[in-house]
Amino acid sequence: MIEILMIILCTGILVSGILAVRLDSLVGAVVSAGLASLFASVTYVILAAPDVAMTEASIGSALSTAIFLYALRRTREDD
Amino acid sequence: MADTLLTIALVLIALSIVFGILRLILGHTTVDRVIAIDLLTVVSIAIIALYAHYAGRFIYLDVALVYGLLSFLGVLAVARFLEKGL
Repeated sequence: MIEILMIILCTGILVSGILAVRLDSLVGAVVSAGLASLFASVTYVILAAPDVAMTEASIGSALSTAIFLYALRRTREDD
Repeated sequence: MADTLLTIALVLIALSIVFGILRLILGHTTVDRVIAIDLLTVVSIAIIALYAHYAGRFIYLDVALVYGLLSFLGVLAVARFLEKGL
């Protein structure tokens, strides 16, 4: 039961990683990278590491998305 | 009874992940992708709560709580970016 969930989550990490590389829209790429971090956090919980999952959720998914978008706003005026 | 409900919840969660990722792949605009991310965030909180019950370790519910408190920040950052406020 949990194995099926793990397979779906790891497929989600793979698909969002490919999308983060291949998408044309930069905002879409940043959002896809945040999704890879989100699914990695859930995978850490299932692998019995809740503290790593909490750190990954706060830094990887929320803070890095905000910093990427801030850098995008500061470097490109039109997008 | 409880096993039946857990199996139904797992099937619904799996379908939600599949359709959310399909919307992320096929999404025409950025707003579609942001909505898909918001859906998958809620689904992830549901996965963590379900696994906390399945493994019998209720310390995992704290992770779901922290995740629910922090998960809106990414969507908020993208929304402020799209409205040129960030």
